[in-house]
Amino acid sequence: MLMCHVKGCSTDNFPLRIEDAEMEQVEVEFNEDFCRRLINKIDWPAFVQTAFALGLDQLPAALPDDLDEEFLQRIHKLALETKLKAGRMVCNGCKHVYLITDGIPNMLLQETEV
Amino acid sequence: MPKFVICFAQAHLNFRLAELRSLAIIENVTLDFDQKDLLEQSPFLVVGIDTVENAKKLLNRAILIKEIIQLWAADDTLEGILLKAKNLPAEYFAPYRTSSFKFDISVFGSTLAIPDQVEQINRFKFLPLEGKIDLKKPEIVFTVYQDFYANANPKDIPDKPVRLFFGPFLATSNRGLIQTYDLKKRDYLGTTSMDAELSLIMSNIALARPGSFVLDPFVGTGSFLLTSSHFGAFTLGADIDGRQIRGKGNNKNIESNAVQYDLTNRILGTVVCDIAHHPWRETEFWDAIVCDPPYGVRAGAKKIAVNPKSLPKTSVLNPDGTYKLPQTIPYELDDVLTDLLSFAAKYLTPGGRLVYWLPTVTETYDPKDVPRHKRMRMIDNCEQDFGKWARRLIVMEKLQQHEPDLDLDALLVEIEKGIQGVNALDEQDMRVGDDGLVTLIDNPAHAKFRNHYFNIGEGETQ
Repeated sequence: MLMCHVKGCSTDNFPLRIEDAEMEQVEVEFNEDFCRRLINKIDWPAFVQTAFALGLDQLPAALPDDLDEEFLQRIHKLALETKLKAGRMVCNGCKHVYLITDGIPNMLLQETEV
Repeated sequence: MPKFVICFAQAHLNFRLAELRSLAIIENVTLDFDQKDLLEQSPFLVVGIDTVENAKKLLNRAILIKEIIQLWAADDTLEGILLKAKNLPAEYFAPYRTSSFKFDISVFGSTLAIPDQVEQINRFKFLPLEGKIDLKKPEIVFTVYQDFYANANPKDIPDKPVRLFFGPFLATSNRGLIQTYDLKKRDYLGTTSMDAELSLIMSNIALARPGSFVLDPFVGTGSFLLTSSHFGAFTLGADIDGRQIRGKGNNKNIESNAVQYDLTNRILGTVVCDIAHHPWRETEFWDAIVCDPPYGVRAGAKKIAVNPKSLPKTSVLNPDGTYKLPQTIPYELDDVLTDLLSFAAKYLTPGGRLVYWLPTVTETYDPKDVPRHKRMRMIDNCEQDFGKWARRLIVMEKLQQHEPDLDLDALLVEIEKGIQGVNALDEQDMRVGDDGLVTLIDNPAHAKFRNHYFNIGEGETQ
């Protein structure tokens, strides 16, 4: 959902590359309807790439036509139950680093970047 | 449609219709009433609802309603009620013929001594009820509402009720939630935490429900995350000030509140970011945006920008390689609100709601001050009056994709307390931005709100 928003940074600014990730599994209520709608909102290739880079899952490159409950559970686990506790999100375009601490990404820019 | 009588709790009167209509949408209930029947000074409203089951459902998460009864008889005298009750078809009582029961006389705007109540109840003796009277746990309660206030001047209350309603009691609402989320019991608080009752009402009006996705872009200490997630929504918070989200390092923060209320399975997290320069990829993510924008009285609004008053930095990095805090400049309320509205028009799902507070100085407020948007329909504007100043809960709904942009007539519509009024706007006063934002050409009265607020009482109203 998050992208680099440094002024003028418009190529390679999504998805952010995640480095030094410290992850934690949390429990989130499963809601099939919400999960279906979420899949339509996320950028699928970016999601696949990030899940692979983090060593979490190898998802099909193209979103399957038939989203059964098992698949939805898999996405639910990745998108909602896997929390980045700490790490860095780096923009492949301008190299800006966004830090994640205590599970909270800091997306603030410098005053010269807005 | 079967008729019912809603008895409101008589709190936050201006918000009653907004909540009632939202509840009907949330619970998928067919609700019919004439808004002219709702009187400021009376808690009673006669409504049509498709079924008895749905009438009960409507109160599941109601905050501003106290209870609801089925309407069997309405009259302006007790004698009239008795006569109508006598003539009710036998099948009305058939389901309750052998049930244990009691009578409850609820008087609004006056008092009725116990012996008088008993005397009145005894006059219903003729009803075909054979069950035993049980004052503690009756299977059915028959309610008589007596309203002394309707149409009355509060200083001149009549000695007899002006209208009465009679019927079986159906359900009480969920006002107990106000205690559950009471700020006094909450672990982590800030100076800007929203009181529990209003926070719950806002989550109702935002249609927060299982499966919906709600954002508070000025999350502060997270009041709206709690109440929206309580009603089943998945929530996300953002704030430019990470200190509010994280707390003071004593393990009291938004996350600990989520734990306290057992909502960690729906509160998805928080992000530190500036809504003026935000990182969200442009997608219709949220079903509702609920917030109390910073208006500078208790927490000054800021946005990232070069601050000419600060020394330029020699480096943006700290010695440990992390970024220094960015410089910020004051963020004027009218800019905060127009940015918020443009944001909502882009990021809400079609039909999604924006619910936020607009602070106003009562003397200078003009309905045209509220920023509009061609893709956002005005649903409500409810005032919470503090005398010389007020705040207004503005409720807007994003148009569906197939709907054309709002034309000026629709854009300039005025709504107050859930009731549509006359257009007070003039298109010559308005500026239409490229993205559909419609604002006053002159500054709205809430521009520089902070200055006006602190000048109240010093004779300055400019």
